[in-house]
Amino acid sequence: MTTLITGGSKCGKSSFAERILEQFHGRKIYIATMQPFGEEAFEAIERHRKMRAGKGFETVEKYTDIHELSLPEDCAVLLECLGNLCANEMFSDGTVSDPAYKIVHGVKQLANSVSELVIVTNQVGSDGITYTDGTADYIRVLGCINRRIAEFADNVIECVYGIPIVLKGEKIW
Amino acid sequence: MIMITGGIHQGKTAYAMRKFGLAESDIADGADCNFDALKNVRCILNYHDIVKRLGDRSVTFTEELCRSNPDAVIIINEIGCGIVPIEKSERIWRENVGRCGCIIAANSEKVIRIVCGIPDIIKGENE
Repeated sequence: MTTLITGGSKCGKSSFAERILEQFHGRKIYIATMQPFGEEAFEAIERHRKMRAGKGFETVEKYTDIHELSLPEDCAVLLECLGNLCANEMFSDGTVSDPAYKIVHGVKQLANSVSELVIVTNQVGSDGITYTDGTADYIRVLGCINRRIAEFADNVIECVYGIPIVLKGEKIW
Repeated sequence: MIMITGGIHQGKTAYAMRKFGLAESDIADGADCNFDALKNVRCILNYHDIVKRLGDRSVTFTEELCRSNPDAVIIINEIGCGIVPIEKSERIWRENVGRCGCIIAANSEKVIRIVCGIPDIIKGENE
């Protein structure tokens, strides 16, 4: 089953994603996409590490090219998060021509190869600010990725201040 | 506790006043209210402004408020669905609003999200 979880900043997406996988008793793999650059990223990573501690996740750091991952088919995967992955693909060396295709393809491959996939993404298009160039492209590309993944995901859930709202699929918790 | 959220200008305050029979004197505005008054007030508007005014103290303040005024109606904007702000203080505020919002939601028997004036009960019973 593939579940996409979206929402704004600090809205409880990660805790909810972890909660969904609590019922899974096999091997659990956490794909971390946030690069540990800068104090705030480091703090965020630490916070998420503490939150996951004792929940049985193995961490795999993969900042770009998730299609290269080869994971055991009986495992559950938590991919966090598409917002970082998209920024990494777009801004690390700036040579990826269509990050949306690349990322969606990578996620699809994961969805087809593991037993349970939970993906955390971000809602970034609702602050009413008109951005230029790179940022505007980023909002467009991430929006496109979210839409394409939502098409094939079994469940799409939005978190609002920690409250899950089912946008697609069944209540799975 | 009741939580009302949604974007700006969606009709959150009008809904709260209508639904819970609130008068203006029942409402404290987070932008300029006295923090001590919040323990007794029926409704707190612009809670995201309280978070801005309190900075990192906002999380413990919110936990305490949930205990001291458990019947309050809290109105808080949804502000996190955008690009990470360049300004550090804006980033910290936005994250604290998320954290405080999660605390309020967890302590609320009902959470209502207003879009275009239309209430969507996202937690609790729909009557």
